[in-house]
Parts: sequence; structure tokens; C-alpha cells
Amino acid sequence: MSGWEQFLIVLVKTVVIYGAVINVAALMTLAERKFSAFMQYRIGPNRVGPFGLLQPLADGVKFIFKEELTPDGANPWLFRAAPVIAALPAMMTIAVIPFAPDVTIGGRNFGTLSIADLDIGVLYILALGGLSVYGVILGGWASNSKYSLLGGLRASAQMISYELTLILTILAVVVMSGSLNLREIVEAQPTIGSWHIWTQPLAFLMFVVATFAETNRHPFDFSECEPELVGGFHTEYSAMKWAMFYIGEYSAMTVMASLTVVLFLGGWSVPFWPEAPWFVCLASFLAKTGFFLFLFLWVRWTLPRFRFDQLMRMGWKLFLPLALANLLITGAFVALR
Amino acid sequence: MVIVKRKELSLSEKLYIPEVLRGLSITFRKMFEPKITRQYPEEPLPKTEVTRGQPRLVVKEDDTIACVSCGLCEAACPAYAITIDGGETDRSIEREPVRFDIDMLRCILCGFCEEACPKEAIYMSDELELADYTREALIYDMDKLKRPKAALQKRIDYVKRINTRWQTPSST
Repeated sequence: MSGWEQFLIVLVKTVVIYGAVINVAALMTLAERKFSAFMQYRIGPNRVGPFGLLQPLADGVKFIFKEELTPDGANPWLFRAAPVIAALPAMMTIAVIPFAPDVTIGGRNFGTLSIADLDIGVLYILALGGLSVYGVILGGWASNSKYSLLGGLRASAQMISYELTLILTILAVVVMSGSLNLREIVEAQPTIGSWHIWTQPLAFLMFVVATFAETNRHPFDFSECEPELVGGFHTEYSAMKWAMFYIGEYSAMTVMASLTVVLFLGGWSVPFWPEAPWFVCLASFLAKTGFFLFLFLWVRWTLPRFRFDQLMRMGWKLFLPLALANLLITGAFVALR
Repeated sequence: MVIVKRKELSLSEKLYIPEVLRGLSITFRKMFEPKITRQYPEEPLPKTEVTRGQPRLVVKEDDTIACVSCGLCEAACPAYAITIDGGETDRSIEREPVRFDIDMLRCILCGFCEEACPKEAIYMSDELELADYTREALIYDMDKLKRPKAALQKRIDYVKRINTRWQTPSST
């Protein structure tokens, strides 16, 4: 396969995957409103298209035409850079997530459906996830407003605390499967009996909770909740900059949901069909990711919010020791096997 | 002194996860229960016998207006919404309105005009929708207010049924 062919294949994969993720983020805004409405005895948006499907398009047009305000005394460069810094890491981490096994169209094998098959995939995701904290801090700081600053500080403290739990639980899975390459982690779970959710239940629970905390999502969204802090770190943002924060949050949710599926639920493996064709594997991956995205929405409209000190106490005094203990036991088990 | 005892949390409440699952199951079941949204333009507003809508003028079966421009409704209106100019007519009643404006932006749908009228000429219809593009268009003149008596019959019957105690027969 010549260099040009490889480049073209990667380009097509990038366009397809990236386009799909952005569309999923847009659809999530609609799904959030529809599902929250269903849980509250009402119908969500249903005027704009059939079942309100064109609502994200209408929202996008609205955001493009809205007036862009900059508060007096805000740092102009940081103010404009913060939404981009918040949104970019989420979009870049998509690159390493494997969506399906060897794609064969018309007899030609195109390799796994992921933009880059890095041997250090897990490290790449964790490193970029750490960068998204910058966007939150800069957004709060550059707005020159009390609410934003407090919101930004709280959000960044929360994200940093729960990143530890995230890393330790991912490490437990890496120890079990012996590789940092996400594709190999998926290939280590071919059947439903070998999914890491059964061998690492505690790590799974803590990972799910940590993903909620990482994406500033309810019940950990103290930094952006309306009654307490107006809008938190994105109070002073209008129109497209706010939409960038929003899209960044939903893309991060999508990445976290697919990461949960890859690490704990066997990625693309179809439950009772080991030799499934690649599009069935892709459908199974998407269904599982869809379930976790729904879980994000479901939990938001069910649980009350954590108070900030309860949140920090849980992160440091409960999750960190448990994650460390889990990692030690896993390591001992694997070493003595 | 009142001492409030806090209830001890049970084990499942302390673990938090079972309670989370219970809450999630409740919201999940709620998703499939019937929705209470009314789809407004397609589903009309619910209107019953007692619905008191906007005031309208009665046009009798012989196509003449019932109003004699006496001005009692104009005097009774608490929002000063009605403006009347009287004029002569060759009918035996000798009076009819030349101008009868109700400023719908001021009308509060109270029904005092309906109660004050001695000629059974103004009744509160069941029309409630009020939307237009300019303020001037929402000052309804006589053409916009006239309705055939049959269109207001439900309200006429209701008012007569409720107020039988004070009913005196009209002289015309």
C-alpha cells in the first residue's frame, strides 16, 4: 500500500469519525432536552423538524448570529482562547478510540476504524484530558468576574482531583490487559465473559463516577450550576464562544462514554457472536456508547448535586485510597498468576 | 426547646449506590408515562360554558345591530376601553352607534359591559386569541366586533340562566 493510499485512507477515516463525533455532540444537545422532558411528563422540542431533529441546526444558526460580548477588563487573548482550549482536547482524543475491527469493503482491508493506532493510546488520552482543565481555568480567569473566577477555580480543583481516580482505574485495566494500546485492550476482551467489567467491578464504578466528575457533569457540576454561581466559568461568554464550551463538554462526554466501553465493556465485541462482521461490531460499539451517553443524561435528571466539600472529600478520601488498593490487588494478582 | 432528631441512615442509604439505582429506575419508568403537554395551535384551548372571552356586539336576525348607543357599557367599563359615538336611525328605536370601538389592549374581560347593557346587545363571546402585528390593529372597531346572535347564543343562554333573579323583560 503506497504512501498516498495510506494517507487517503487515514484522511477518510478522520473525516468520517470526526464528523460523526461532532454530529453526536450536536444531537446530544437535542437528546438532553428530549429525554429530560420525557422524564418530566412533557415533550421536548418537537416543532423544528420531525421529533425536533433540526433543533440543533436552529440552535447553531442562532449562536452564529448572536452578538459577541466581551466584558470590560477581560484579557482579550485569553478570553478568546479559553473556549478553544476547552473544546480541542476532547476532539483530539477521538483519534485513538477504535470503533470497529478490520474494515473490509469490497475485499480490501482498511485496518481498524480509528484515526491513529497509537501504542501509547491510553497515555495520549490522559495527557490531553489534563489539558482541558486549562480551558476551564482560563475561562474563569479571563472573564474578570467574581462568579466566573470562583466557578473556574472550583471546576479546575474538581477536575484535577478526579483525574487521579481516573488514571488509577485505567491503570488497573492496563495491568489486566498488558498494553497501553486501546486496540489491544479491546482485543483482550473477545467474549462477554472476558469483559473487564466482571474482573474489575470496583474500578468500573469508580471510573464511571470519575468520568462524571471530569466532564463537569451532574451530580458534579457545582462549578456551572445556575443557582449557586450563575453560570460558573462560562457566565460571561455569549454566542459562539459559549457554544464552543458546550460542544467541548458534549464531545468530552462522548469520548468518556466510548472510553468506558473500550476499557470495560469489550469495545466492539458483540455479546454472543465472536466472529461478527465489522459493521455489526461497529453497531454494537455504538449501541454501548449510546447507553453510556444516555446514562450521563439519566443521572443528570435524577440525582441531586454534591456540595463542593462533599465532592472534594469523596475524591480524595474515598476514591483515591480505593483506587490505589484496587491497583495494588490487581497488580499482585497478575504478578502471582 | 424543640429537639429535632435526625433519622439514622439505613445501610443501603449509606452505601448510596442502591439508592441511586432506585432513583434511576423511577425516572426511567416516568419516561414511558403519558405526557401532559398541550400542543397548543393544533389542540385548541379548553372552553366550557363558563368561559368568559372577549366582548362582541349582537346583530339581530333582521341584520340590524341591537346596540342603541346609550353609553352604559362605556360608563361601566373599569378600564375605559369602550368609545361610543351615537347617531340617528330611521328604525323605531331611533338610536344606533356610528362608532363603537373597544381597545382590546385595555379590555380586561371582566364582563361589566355585558352586565350593564339594557338592550342585550353586548355579550362576552368565547373568543380568547388576541394577536396581531401592530397596536392600531388591536383597537377593534364596529366591523370587527359584530357577530350574529346565533354565534353568541351559548353565552346568552348561560347569562339568562344564571341571572334569572334580576331578569326584567326588555321593552323591545
